[in-house]
Amino acid sequence: MTQKLLDVENLTMKFGGLVAIDNLSFSTDKDQITSIIGPNGAGKTTVFNCLTGFYKATAGSMFLNKEKERMNLTKFSDFKVAQKAGVARTFQNIRLFPQMSVLENLMVAQHNKLMDASGFTILGLFNSPSFVQKEKEAVEISKYWLDIIGLTHRADDDAGDLPYGDQRKLEIVRAMCINPHLLCLDEPAAGLNAKESAELNKLLLFIKKEKKTGILLIEHDMSVVMEISDHVIVLNYGKKIFEGSAKETKNSPEVIEAYLGTEE
Amino acid sequence: MKKNFLLSSIKDSLFTGLIALALFGPIVGLRTVAKNEALVVNPKWFVVILIVLVCALGRFLTNLYVYKRDLKYGVQASVGKTITNFLDTKGTQIALSAIIFSLVFPFLPFTDRYLMDIAIMMLTYIMLGWGLNIVIGLAGLLDLGYVAFYAVGAYSYALFAIHFGWSFWICLPIAGIFAAMFGVLLGFPVLRLRGDYLAIVTLAFGEMIRILLLNWYQLTKGPDGLTGIPRPSFFGLPFKSFPEEGEQTFHTFFGLEYSPMQRIIFLYYLILVLALITNLFTLKIRRLPIGRAWEALREDEIACKSLGVNPRNTKLTAFAIGAMFGGFAGSFFATRQAFISPESFTFIESAIIVAIVVLGGMGSQTGVVLATVFLIGLIEVFRDFESYRMIAFGGAMVLIMIFRPRGILATRKPTITLHKKEPAK
Repeated sequence: MTQKLLDVENLTMKFGGLVAIDNLSFSTDKDQITSIIGPNGAGKTTVFNCLTGFYKATAGSMFLNKEKERMNLTKFSDFKVAQKAGVARTFQNIRLFPQMSVLENLMVAQHNKLMDASGFTILGLFNSPSFVQKEKEAVEISKYWLDIIGLTHRADDDAGDLPYGDQRKLEIVRAMCINPHLLCLDEPAAGLNAKESAELNKLLLFIKKEKKTGILLIEHDMSVVMEISDHVIVLNYGKKIFEGSAKETKNSPEVIEAYLGTEE
Repeated sequence: MKKNFLLSSIKDSLFTGLIALALFGPIVGLRTVAKNEALVVNPKWFVVILIVLVCALGRFLTNLYVYKRDLKYGVQASVGKTITNFLDTKGTQIALSAIIFSLVFPFLPFTDRYLMDIAIMMLTYIMLGWGLNIVIGLAGLLDLGYVAFYAVGAYSYALFAIHFGWSFWICLPIAGIFAAMFGVLLGFPVLRLRGDYLAIVTLAFGEMIRILLLNWYQLTKGPDGLTGIPRPSFFGLPFKSFPEEGEQTFHTFFGLEYSPMQRIIFLYYLILVLALITNLFTLKIRRLPIGRAWEALREDEIACKSLGVNPRNTKLTAFAIGAMFGGFAGSFFATRQAFISPESFTFIESAIIVAIVVLGGMGSQTGVVLATVFLIGLIEVFRDFESYRMIAFGGAMVLIMIFRPRGILATRKPTITLHKKEPAK
């Protein structure tokens, strides 16, 4: 059996008396797109916030399996999840650096690498050749991603001036610039038109196929979910009510009940 | 439509007149004079009526000619565009000519002691503005207690120089390190705070340092201040009119006639060099990963965390480096004055420096220079009309905020570009 990329075991998150996630276990494969769906308030974003260290889970454990080691994500707090474990995420409401240029946005994503190269700023102050080289490489990586989403011609414009759909795509490739093992996308298709979501699907499939990055996706747009997911997990009231392929999910009576209610 | 506009303008100006009456009536109209050891009211209604008329008429005219909305915005936009365009195309030349001007300034024919003193003061504020620009302009941390680091730098320079007799060039970095340490000290408790809350805590920090200096009598001599701070020497050559037996001084070494201006000129170049170092350092560090992380942190802290940027270290370095330059400026202040007391480090100093940074346009280095020349220059011009100084100061700020709501120079240039060959200066 191949090793899973992410193992979530008995994850529980309580806010006071409110149980947002109740004993949730699931796992995702490498180079697979796993979607988490569910009605509003089902606890999808809370799962993400636990995974990426923004919340500390009340109980349970999350393991990320890399080639050599098995990392316990519960041990890392906020920025370390991205820095040490390589779990990147995007946000439901886009969080770019709006007054910085598109290229700068991607450079910030490569901060830790460049920070080391700049010898914690000291080597960088004197333009050391190793730092200049590393910076050039970082620009090349940024350019590579900009070419993929077709924004190279706008590299020097403020990120906040881009159209909405481009901002979504930029946020995704910015997350890819930290070279993650797992990419968590929180409603990437929200607010996109049909053409833009088709482009998004293409981008996500490319990342899955070429970069071998596992993708965890929260989405309401069923056209996206059904088209690209290899695996679907359905949450309701913090509990997993169904798990299976996209097709199985579509026909599952439990899922239809959670979304539409039961017949009287 | 036209008539309606006229009517509303008249109404509006009458209302302005009423407000002016309510304000100036009691303040100007009812003047109390001491007469025969008693307080007598000496009404000046004529002046009040004059003021009210001026206000109402002024409002009426501005209503008619300036506040037609499109016109107002037209003026704003065109002023903004002209300034930005001018600085965009001529930016390098302006900066170069400003540097050349400041280099030859002490030897210009009209330069006298008074102008030199003002120039030194302006350069000190420019350096402080550039230092604070790292904290406010780049990292977006509104620091209202910056004067604390200025004070720490001044006092640590003074104490080391007085008690150990160390020279300026040894004490300067020590003062910078001390100030940076205080920057970290302030940084730790405020890591989680942003915006208004951060402003309140930093303001309190500034006051704490001042009160500490006032009350720690054994170390700081409290309100009496520290006297006899050694003057800086020109690489070991002191500026003295009467050298002791066998002592080399600046004027004997160079075979010059002694003049007190020599020291002033030396101080001028000293602060000019310090300020330029601050500027070059900031311009360079802005293009390094840490500088970009500061700006990213200003834009969105949560996004920074999601990209693995350590917000704690990033903020602390911003506080420390900003504070360090404040400390350098402080030790220059101490050596220039030869006397320091807590009086020099009140909140109004912090406020002026913040005003310089904000009015200059957050994060703009040239903006800081323009704002300093404008504000400090204005204060000096109005020196003879004491009571009107603060009015002029406030008026200048209002004008800048009307015409350039985001500061004199608000355009930000990217730190790295893909298409244009030149990276932004």
